[in-house]
Amino acid sequence: MTNQFQHIDKLIAEKGTERKSLIPILQAIQNEYNYLPEESLKYLAEKSNITPAEIISVASFYKQFRMKPSGKHIVKICVGTACHVKGATLVHDAFKRHFKLSDTEDTDKDGEYTLEKVSCLGCCTLAPVVQVDGITYGHVAPDQVDAVIADFESQQGKTEGKKYRKADGSEIKGEIRIGLGSCCVASGSDEIRKEVEKVAMENNLRVNLKHVGCVGMCHQVPLVEIVPNDGEPTLYAKVKPEDVKQIVESHFEPPTFFARMKNKIFNLAEEIQTDRNWEGVQRYEISMREKPVASFLGNQVPIATEYRGMINPVDINEYKSRGGFTALTKVLQTMSPDDVVAEVKNSGIRGRGGAGFPTGIKWELVKKEISDSKYLICNGDEGDPGAFMDRMLLESYPYRVIEGIIIAAYAVNIHQGYFYIRAEYPLAVKRISKALEVCYENNLLGENIMSSGFNFELKIYEGAGAFVCGEETALIASIEGSRGFPHIRPPFPAQQGLWGQPTLVNNTETFAQISYIIREGFEKFKNIGTERNSGTKVFALAGKVARGGLIEVPMGITIRQVVEEIGGGIANGRTFKAVQIGGPSGGCIPAEHADTPINYESLSAMGAMMGSGGLVVLDDTDCMVDIARFFLSFTQDESCGKCTFCRVGTKRMLDILENITSGKGKQGDLEELEKLAEWTKKGSLCGLGKTAPNPVLSTLQYFRHEYEAHINGVCPTGKCTKLITYSVNDKCIGCTLCVQKCPVDAIPFTPHEKHSINTELCIKCDACRAVCPEDAIDVR
Amino acid sequence: MITLKINNTEIEVENGTSVMKAAQQMGIDIPNMCWHDELEHFTSCMLCLVKDAKNGNLFPSCSVKATDGLEIITDDSEIKEARQTALELLLSEHVGDCEAPCQIACPAHMNIPLMNRLIAAGKFDESLAVVKRDIALPAVLGRICPAPCEGACHRKTVDEAVSICLLKRFVGDEGTEPEIIPGPKTGKKVAVIGAGPAGLAAAYYLQLKGVEVTLLDKNEKPGGLLRTAISEEILPKEVLDKEIEMMLKPGVTFQGGKEIDTAFFAQLKNDFDAVILATGTLPENAEFFGLKATPKGIIADRDSYQTSDPKVFAVGNVLRSSRLAVRSVGQGKEVAFSVLQFFSGQQPTGEPRMFNSRFGKLVSAEFSEYLKESVNEKRTFPEKGGHSSFSKDEAIAEAKRCMHCDCRAIDNCKLREYSHQYNADQKRFKTSERRNITKSTSHSSVIYEPQKCIKCGICVRLTEKHGEQFGFTYIGRGFDVEIGIPFNEELKDGLSKIAVKVAEGCPTGAISLKNVD
Repeated sequence: MTNQFQHIDKLIAEKGTERKSLIPILQAIQNEYNYLPEESLKYLAEKSNITPAEIISVASFYKQFRMKPSGKHIVKICVGTACHVKGATLVHDAFKRHFKLSDTEDTDKDGEYTLEKVSCLGCCTLAPVVQVDGITYGHVAPDQVDAVIADFESQQGKTEGKKYRKADGSEIKGEIRIGLGSCCVASGSDEIRKEVEKVAMENNLRVNLKHVGCVGMCHQVPLVEIVPNDGEPTLYAKVKPEDVKQIVESHFEPPTFFARMKNKIFNLAEEIQTDRNWEGVQRYEISMREKPVASFLGNQVPIATEYRGMINPVDINEYKSRGGFTALTKVLQTMSPDDVVAEVKNSGIRGRGGAGFPTGIKWELVKKEISDSKYLICNGDEGDPGAFMDRMLLESYPYRVIEGIIIAAYAVNIHQGYFYIRAEYPLAVKRISKALEVCYENNLLGENIMSSGFNFELKIYEGAGAFVCGEETALIASIEGSRGFPHIRPPFPAQQGLWGQPTLVNNTETFAQISYIIREGFEKFKNIGTERNSGTKVFALAGKVARGGLIEVPMGITIRQVVEEIGGGIANGRTFKAVQIGGPSGGCIPAEHADTPINYESLSAMGAMMGSGGLVVLDDTDCMVDIARFFLSFTQDESCGKCTFCRVGTKRMLDILENITSGKGKQGDLEELEKLAEWTKKGSLCGLGKTAPNPVLSTLQYFRHEYEAHINGVCPTGKCTKLITYSVNDKCIGCTLCVQKCPVDAIPFTPHEKHSINTELCIKCDACRAVCPEDAIDVR
Repeated sequence: MITLKINNTEIEVENGTSVMKAAQQMGIDIPNMCWHDELEHFTSCMLCLVKDAKNGNLFPSCSVKATDGLEIITDDSEIKEARQTALELLLSEHVGDCEAPCQIACPAHMNIPLMNRLIAAGKFDESLAVVKRDIALPAVLGRICPAPCEGACHRKTVDEAVSICLLKRFVGDEGTEPEIIPGPKTGKKVAVIGAGPAGLAAAYYLQLKGVEVTLLDKNEKPGGLLRTAISEEILPKEVLDKEIEMMLKPGVTFQGGKEIDTAFFAQLKNDFDAVILATGTLPENAEFFGLKATPKGIIADRDSYQTSDPKVFAVGNVLRSSRLAVRSVGQGKEVAFSVLQFFSGQQPTGEPRMFNSRFGKLVSAEFSEYLKESVNEKRTFPEKGGHSSFSKDEAIAEAKRCMHCDCRAIDNCKLREYSHQYNADQKRFKTSERRNITKSTSHSSVIYEPQKCIKCGICVRLTEKHGEQFGFTYIGRGFDVEIGIPFNEELKDGLSKIAVKVAEGCPTGAISLKNVD
């Protein structure tokens, strides 16, 4: 205990004794013990000016904090939208069975593993995703639990090998770029990196090895791009470690290797076959021909994601060599703050966080407030379970975001700023920390920036996990060290924000687009997109499309263009049913309205919302009632619990949806659901509650017949497990594969005879249907 | 100063005044539960929603400051529906009974838990006074009542119901008849026809209200079926006579041997300001009385007991044949209220029944929580057996088995008042299992029942403001958020300074003063 108390003393000394230090202190305690020991918290209350009530209210509010010790390893099951539609619930159930957990337990008996559901790991294109400590497994099927755990355990105790990398950089023949965005890392790009380094070392190659951020081709990871000094660059997708030697040698050694490798590689210029997958647990489901990757990149206008895949995220010189910080230089040297605001206003850019408030006007509002201590906050609390744009921007373009922030601070005359980043995005936190450090070293932050006389301090504040903190007043409460309770506006943060001072809160993506506007001029930005919706929007395209990933498209592009031209249509030959846009605040737009242009107004008119930019494509196997239930269970859990309509209204809507999807629906439920949705919209305090009913209302509007079918006892897509039964049809050849897979012995061992399923025992885990080679399992 | 319009009337208020306070200055009541005069606005309950007349948007008036030119509507059908819905949502997570189930089940709506607590405290006279507020003939009914209250008693789910009926008999026998202080004379005269349980009760309660009552019966002695249909062994005549004598003594004129015919009835209607028909069986010549009737009984309003003749009321078996004397007694009490309403020129409606929150049956996990306010003892039976009564000790022991199911905040609960006012339906959002009830009783002056909490945060903010060391805090979030003491400290440690203030500030019965009786 003494140690523990010394640790707390140290933390208090380091971080302060006031309430505003509470969240960082709790994060540090949790880092140390992997939970918050009660003794530590009591000691903290005793030694600081923070009361027990404050400590408990905060510690119990944020998802990051655990009040009980966890197992040695944490198994995170992603239950974000993309993972959900690809069966994350079944995966979660399978892990629960594996660890023999009851409904109230989350840690196995031996204290080895703790099972956690997380809203989004930001690797939507690898769905369903499972993370065990630092290792990510993609495309996990419910019957792969044993394999995942075995693989994880086989990795334990392995120390990292020596880094193979040449020190002298002379005589460089070219560049090898390795994607190190979250999806790439999750799919094993770090191993690829080691392998590339090893091969380069062994062959004494004189090449530059470069780590690049997300290139937006998350469905093809891991990615390796070879850029010889002469000749065309070649992009290799889904690279396996054993391919590396041959890929590298094919470019930088005699060409005979290239010939041998030719049919194995993927090339920008030709049609590609992407059926080469990781063996074992990394099981990719797509095995189809795809269009050239070039078109995937080509239909877009990169602004926030400019030079994607070409720059090392934390290398400031590379950012500079591609026009980085020229906007800031221009601003500081040639423009008055008023000029900057006017430029941004004229560009027509609107807040990319979802609500679409004109950015220039927001700047003006904060600017006209008179105060010595105004604040700026970059809202990187991306909480939409189907979106990872902010994460990608922070990870891949830290300097671009920082540049936008400094420009804003200069324009509005602010000298202190915060990067609010989710603690669940450790890579983003790491990269931004590094980039901030470099900026301070280069006089881009701090006192007298670039000798302009302008001072600006910028630091990171790690969010502790609460979707509601994306709402600006809740976000401010969180930085102040409180529960993320929103408060009524007015007063708006522009007048009374952080610590009662005028505060400018903009979304990460908004900041990422500022430098382009300044550098290229507002007209160029305004000419992209449409009249009232200028510029571009970044989306996380995921779900049932053939090609998922980060995309940046001009405003006004239609849903169809995104799904078909960029996403390559629906995967596995299924039919396009709907897109879910805007996550928990958004709605489902059916395929027949796919020609709807994507802009703030048209999406709202369709019952959806720009939201933060999650775009999840659904096919004919997706149950729309289940989708509505999924989002409601999310918002219900994320509601701060303050106001009646949100706290209880979302819960009661969820109850009704759960009753409907489990066969307990009754006449009148839909009418009550609609009424309650309307009241929750009208009566809730903040945006979370006001938009929470959208997923319900939009699916009721376009897919009411599916709701009615459920009330009559039928789930048309067979997704709602309580409404379906599994049976064996006459195609069965008695191969016993299903028998071997069944985790509950519900299929008797009858080789060479038609199998049967004991529906009393069946837990509807879908393992039999997935394994059956003859399509002999019926689900009705 | 700020000038705004509320319900089309202009008003000037100080700068910084909230819209709710501005409306209150005009005498307009805006319902609110999370507002506390000592604290800043919090915007939680959403009951104070009003409408911006210009754009039709609803907003919480406690948290919005009045601005020049604002136009507000405080009460239209949409606002009513919003408040009703908010209340229904809050009620769906409010697990608790207002009145105890026994009281609701009692046809005379008698305050049984209070009677029990007073007996347990040895205060038999006070207990009898409580009983007689609703039941005019406790010693009699204590011998013959089939006790529907005991069927509803929560204790029945735990082991056996509290022996309510015998306890009532005990106070009826042992308690000193409360001194009757008749209300101010109204100058009104009522004839009550029929001196059975219904007529006796009507006469008793009317005289208490300052009405001059003449009670008529065809028999020489009052009592009706109580005198003729029940054996001496069960209801000794001595008990009946004593109790009737006590209740008529203060000022009811009894006239026995009076057969009523049409002419006499007309005469009574003429001589008296109102007539109450409590003849038990339907008079064969009812039609001649000019009253609407079916073959089963006289037609009267269900709540006010007014017949087709506004001046004539009817109670008891004359409405519908029943063997439940307690129902007749209850109706006798209620009709007295209606008659008074009639005299004051109002439309008779009968006694108002307040809204009651109800959670249904106790579950086994809750038994120990409820027993915290009771004793874990088996039901007491009179040692003497047969039809005998409790001894004093037996009565006290049995009364202690009562679990205090009635809410302490019963007359001081905003949730109940507004639910009544807005006609809220607690069952509307009964969409999933309710929470289990728990009770914290460790504090000497207050009791905490978290499942009654509506998360208004008043206690959290008050304990913070007044520097309680632990105080109350929010734990968790979303629907599952709870209000509790940090580090699971005892209630007495959470509320070491301002327990009474917190209990008084709580808008429901979640935190309430222990002894309110």
